Amino acid sequence: MTEKITVALAGNPNVGKTSIFNAITGSKQHVGNWPGVTVERKIGKRVYNDVMMEIVDLPGTYSLTAYSLDEIIARDFIIEEKPDVVVQVIDATNLERNLYLTTQLMELGVRLVIALNMTDLALAKGDNIDEKKMQEFLEVPVVSTIGSKGNGIEGLLEAAIDELHKTRVTENVFTYDDQIEENVEKLRAVLESDPYFAHYPSRWFSLKLLEGDENIIKKAKESNSYSEIQKIMNQTDAEILEAKVADQRYKTIQTMLRQVCNINTSHLSGSDMVDRVVTNKVLGIPIFLSLMWAAFEVTFTFGTPFMNIIDIFFGWLAETATNVISVPWLASLVGEGMIAGVGSVIIFLPNILLLFFMISLMEDSGYMSRAAFIMDKVMSKFGLHGKSFIPLVMGFGCNVPAIMAARTIEDSRDRLITILVAPFISCGARLPVYILLAGAFFGRDAGVVIFGLYALGIMVAVLSAKLMRSTILKGEDTPFIMELPSYKLPTLKGSLIHMWERGKIYLKKAGTIILIGVVGVWLLASIPAPGSNGTFASEEVYGTTKSVIGMIGQVLEPLVAPLGFDWKIAVALVFGVVAKEIVVGSMGVLYGVGEDEESLSNILAAGAMTPLAALGLMVFTLLYVPCFACIGVIKRETGSWKWTLFQLIYGTSLAWGFAFVIYQGGTRMGLLA
Amino acid sequence: MTRSYGNKEITFAALAGVLYAFFGLLHIVEGLGIDTGMAGLLFIPGDILGGFCLLVIGAVFLNGLREMLQGINAGVSFVYVGILMSLIFMAVYLLIMGGNLLDSFLVPDDYEGWSVMESFRPGIYLGLLSLIGILYWKDSFSSNEVLVFLEGA
Repeated sequence: MTEKITVALAGNPNVGKTSIFNAITGSKQHVGNWPGVTVERKIGKRVYNDVMMEIVDLPGTYSLTAYSLDEIIARDFIIEEKPDVVVQVIDATNLERNLYLTTQLMELGVRLVIALNMTDLALAKGDNIDEKKMQEFLEVPVVSTIGSKGNGIEGLLEAAIDELHKTRVTENVFTYDDQIEENVEKLRAVLESDPYFAHYPSRWFSLKLLEGDENIIKKAKESNSYSEIQKIMNQTDAEILEAKVADQRYKTIQTMLRQVCNINTSHLSGSDMVDRVVTNKVLGIPIFLSLMWAAFEVTFTFGTPFMNIIDIFFGWLAETATNVISVPWLASLVGEGMIAGVGSVIIFLPNILLLFFMISLMEDSGYMSRAAFIMDKVMSKFGLHGKSFIPLVMGFGCNVPAIMAARTIEDSRDRLITILVAPFISCGARLPVYILLAGAFFGRDAGVVIFGLYALGIMVAVLSAKLMRSTILKGEDTPFIMELPSYKLPTLKGSLIHMWERGKIYLKKAGTIILIGVVGVWLLASIPAPGSNGTFASEEVYGTTKSVIGMIGQVLEPLVAPLGFDWKIAVALVFGVVAKEIVVGSMGVLYGVGEDEESLSNILAAGAMTPLAALGLMVFTLLYVPCFACIGVIKRETGSWKWTLFQLIYGTSLAWGFAFVIYQGGTRMGLLA
Repeated sequence: MTRSYGNKEITFAALAGVLYAFFGLLHIVEGLGIDTGMAGLLFIPGDILGGFCLLVIGAVFLNGLREMLQGINAGVSFVYVGILMSLIFMAVYLLIMGGNLLDSFLVPDDYEGWSVMESFRPGIYLGLLSLIGILYWKDSFSSNEVLVFLEGA
């Protein structure tokens, strides 16, 4: 009769677990979800030596703590379902990190077999691993495999069956310091006397309780012995104990490694070499800043001629439309409204595409993960997680994908903070406002002003994160764990595809929301206000206080007058909520110059506003309510109107405060007069 | 593949490190409004941020030099990465130069009296040194290459 056993396949992410799983099970696989969650669950079958093996592929984890959902799933399966054998797949090129999970599996007391995978790569690196010694040291079967070629699979299956038939599972115990051991023994005595805990390995459970594992404490709370357990737990500091335990495990691993393998520490792969430099303690951040500067320089300087080409084209198109269409109001709608409005947004497409291309190059090459790694220390000082860095950088292109990218952050508080501060990162849509106003008022210093606005956005984001972390979203810092993939030479095709995927969203927005927005502005600027004498779209009405828009603007004007803004700016800012790009388009319509930015600049600089008010307006545009698309995605990702409204009110209050200080403070001090 | 560094890498790191650091400092000094008298001759306009980038590349080379002089074989990593960075910046400056040239044809009024050499930067001609470096050590830049040093880390 065929024996039936369950084998769990465990291991760190990217160790070749899937290739081992495929090599064992072939096509006999079933893919579903783990109960209650959307984490993929793969089960396969294989009959070997008359044994029917059900292979369960556990999620890739670095340890068996309760930090992430994957870890909890893997751990709960091993504890609750009790597979007959656990096969841990280990990356032979990265033994130290992989063996940390081994120590935890050994402490669980499971029947364990190690698949020492990717041994070919380890050999190529010059690493010489003595499997026999490793097996003797760990007292666990070790089988060398190359999953991608199917090598060593039969040996692995034989070892799993042999392990199952062993009469006694080796007592794998790591010894910790006396105080820990004393408390472990006290807890074990309590646990072993309570039948509720009979299901769990008592030493492992005791250690987890002392480490303050929330998931385990929750289980313990359901027992009758919890008050006794709590007394023992209170005698130690869980955080310090957890660090001591991890330290001891690594010491044991290092002792073993010295004895069982000869790691060639005198070699470096190409990726290692680059990492040695770009993650250097001193040079890492300056290198990152230099590369970011290069990306911005290409984006804005190399993009200029392409902007001019678009500008010339839309100028010609608007002029032609106005000349060809004989009905004056229709010519105005098409020329000054639609073409001018959409043109004033599409003109920035080259910058947007170039910025996305640069970001794609950094992502595709593998550098972005390193940037997150080197920035983690800085970010954590401001209450942000290292993983928040990539979403925030993406925010320079567009805040919408930036907010969505925050999904990669495991901790809910870190994720929420990242979502709430991401809109302060200056996206491409705000750029038209900066270029227009900085160019009109600050001449040769326009570049410095724009750079300053980007820096202000970052500053407000990190300081807001710090504020939230220390007030409304207090919580423990979570560790930064991120796989650093090997570097790859990005392909032109791949980077262009990524650039286009993101850039077309901008283009689509120009053809839909922005087009509707500018037509709306044009209509409201053309319709006479109730009680005024003018006619639709006449010169007397268009964009003046006699239009509906003028009426709305005058209602809003008192709110923005302390900031040095007139009613036209108030209206432009309101329409800017639809999409930030509309601010410039609206100003063009309201000041009666359409798409001609040079004329708009001249009008503004000639006295329509002061340099201080212009600076305040740029800062206001940076910080106030994000665009509709962004608001929608904040609501979706936080799942809460409360947090969405908080972001809107917090951002707008900051914007008003900053603009007020700039205008009123600057005026009183006689600055930029 | 077994490889170790020699005097060529040390000389290269010293030369490139000093040149990049020196030109970076000149950029910054000019950017602070101090006339060094070399701006016209060496195509160095005042540019604090651009100067900072050249200084960083110089620091990468010099750090490699320091490690190699201390007998740390892996210090050669800094030389190779320094070469890559200097080539990236060479490409950036060439793109900017090309962009300016194209723009001068599109909006000639804005470029009256402008010459393409006004966009010429030290990042371009210093990059030639790295171009020689990458051609000389081209095998070391293969993504599949595993470099094994003979002694130490």
